[in-house]
Amino acid sequence: MAMDHSSPRPKVLCIDDTPEVCLLVRRLLSSHFQVLEAHDGLEGIEVAQEAQPDLVLVDLHMPHLTGYEVATRLKSLMPHVPIVALTADTTPNVRERALASGCDGYLAKPIDPDRFLDQVRTYLAGEREELEDESYRQAYLETLVARLEEKVRELTQTLEQNAELNEQNLRLLKQTRRYARLLEAGARVSRTITAILDLEALLQATVEAVGREFGFPLVGIFLLDETGEWAVLRAGRGGSGVLGGDGGERVGVDGTTMVGMAILQRRPITPADVEPEASLRGRPQAGMALPLIVGDRVIGALTVQRVGPAAFGNEDVAALQIVADQLAVSIGNARLLKDLERAHQELMRARTYEAIATATGEAIHWVGNKAAPIPGSVARIGEDLARYLHLAGALLEVVPPMLREHPFAQLLAEAVEELEALGFHREAVLEGLEGRSLARLRRMLSVSSIFEDLEIIEKSAQAILNIKEDLIGPARRRKPEPLSLPDLLRETVASMGIPDEIVQTRFADDLPLVQGDRIQLSRVFVNLIKNAMEAMEGREEKRLLLWARPAEEPGFVVVDVVDSGVGIPAEQLDKIWMAFYTTKGDRGGTGLGLPACAQIVNQMGGRITVQSEVGVGTTFSVFLPVATS
Amino acid sequence: MNDEVRILLVDDEPLVLRSMEKTLLRAGFDVETADSAGAGLAAFEAARDAGEPFHLAILDLHMPDLEGQDSPDAGLELLRVLLQADTDLPIIVLTAYDEVGRAKEAIRLGARAYLVKGREAELLELVNEVINP
Repeated sequence: MAMDHSSPRPKVLCIDDTPEVCLLVRRLLSSHFQVLEAHDGLEGIEVAQEAQPDLVLVDLHMPHLTGYEVATRLKSLMPHVPIVALTADTTPNVRERALASGCDGYLAKPIDPDRFLDQVRTYLAGEREELEDESYRQAYLETLVARLEEKVRELTQTLEQNAELNEQNLRLLKQTRRYARLLEAGARVSRTITAILDLEALLQATVEAVGREFGFPLVGIFLLDETGEWAVLRAGRGGSGVLGGDGGERVGVDGTTMVGMAILQRRPITPADVEPEASLRGRPQAGMALPLIVGDRVIGALTVQRVGPAAFGNEDVAALQIVADQLAVSIGNARLLKDLERAHQELMRARTYEAIATATGEAIHWVGNKAAPIPGSVARIGEDLARYLHLAGALLEVVPPMLREHPFAQLLAEAVEELEALGFHREAVLEGLEGRSLARLRRMLSVSSIFEDLEIIEKSAQAILNIKEDLIGPARRRKPEPLSLPDLLRETVASMGIPDEIVQTRFADDLPLVQGDRIQLSRVFVNLIKNAMEAMEGREEKRLLLWARPAEEPGFVVVDVVDSGVGIPAEQLDKIWMAFYTTKGDRGGTGLGLPACAQIVNQMGGRITVQSEVGVGTTFSVFLPVATS
Repeated sequence: MNDEVRILLVDDEPLVLRSMEKTLLRAGFDVETADSAGAGLAAFEAARDAGEPFHLAILDLHMPDLEGQDSPDAGLELLRVLLQADTDLPIIVLTAYDEVGRAKEAIRLGARAYLVKGREAELLELVNEVINP
């Protein structure tokens, strides 16, 4: 659009979608008129209203709004302004149709430059062509109505489309709001569970929170077991229906359940993914299973079910997967914490016993030594008592009969009878005494000897009772050396006097030597074997297996001490390493205690682990480093 | 019957030493005791020089060694010296219940037998086996 306000010359508006036409009109008229241009019908009407031209030239064939329609519109807006049609249309009656639409004149294209200025001037001067045949006007009106109707249809269609779009937008908005609500619910679940570091509590809180926040009556969490072949229901809400079966606590990791599929395929599984008969089993429930993934590992699945056939939307899946991801991370954290706690406990255990373990070993050694004289003394005292009594009994036989009635004599006679009954027969007891000189007899039997032996027992016992002092004594010197485990174990078993029918040894052919202190290590096995024997006391089946073989971990040998004893309850398994504290004093002389065993093995660079099943037996595994060179 | 059998008993634990001495004395043996490897060697040499050598030595393993220092191998040290002086001397070593491996080492070095302390009932049987093979 170009406008020129510099002159009061008459204004001519040229509406044509062909720029060359406008340019030609401008050239031909601009010396006498102010020429305005518009390049389509709507613009033409707009410019005309604003500039109030003295004459309008309009091309009849333009897109959208035709020249006819522009003329009609302009005629009603400014009835006195002459409108002249410009057209290359040579079809019959185009002039009549132009006049019918409201044009005042008609000029055929191409424009005749010689006559154009005059022709325009003529129209400006008031020249009006008349439509002789009114039927053209009628025909035009009909065309116009048809065009209008078409426009209305178009508009209506557009409106309908708009309405549809609106509706779509509304739906999207609703979905977005619902998604936002789901996300908020998910966030609340996450907030609830992220702080929980105890695995069992975490799982239970999660199923409760998911059920509450998302409104699922049935929620379950399955975690893979050690084998990875089964997903075990670890927490559930809404009863056993979570599984679609009663009492089932685990499902196989395969394609037959949604849980199995979610774990196997690492993606959310909805009923659409599952064979109808396999998924719902005819129940009016809609379920979904979402994998729990930590890093690149699937650890289980979260499963939800709602009553009723309502399908799950993408946003449900997305929101729940966010919860599942958060849950997986939390489970990972809880497990990590458990591992950390275990590692911490191990560390604490190592530190706690570092100072006392070897001292304990030393103390046990001392107990053994201090107790050594006791059996000999006891035996001698018994023998001496028997000898004195039988000597008295022998004398009784040679005293006058009346004296035998004396209560003292009767008491002695009864004592001798009792001795005989106990198996101390006179001949055997007095053998070696007969025919000896008195001097020799004195050396063999004396009251002072009896009291000396009693003193030996008393002192030994006192030394053992004083073992507490020895506990803080100097640690025994350790001498690590390459050791043959089969030799060590055979010697240990032999020295402990374990019956052959109970003990069984299994040694790998290619078993390397291990590095360790012979005495200390021997004590470890004495202790473990002693524990095993104690665990099997009173058991019908007593089997002790010592199994030495290269460990899976390179550079280590493992010795399993396996018994068929009573087993250790799971809740006590962690505490056995604390036995030194809980049973202090009661175990004196019976062994090192497991803490000291663990400490000794730790010092050698190895470790001890335990597995146990109540009523079946216990296995202690001692890992020891292979001797280098 | 055992009157002429002279036994050297070496152990640094007085109670163990006395108890075993009593058991041997009652059985009629002639017993001399020492409480360290050094004292044991001195007694051995004195008896040999007096023309009344021991017929048997019973040695503890863990006690003061020839220099008087506490050592788990003092008995083995004394064993070597005694066997150097008298290759035919029967020797029994004493061991704690948890040191049987060390006693086996003594057997390898020439001891005739070992006795786990606290099993004195077996002592006389073992002594008789060793001196009357």
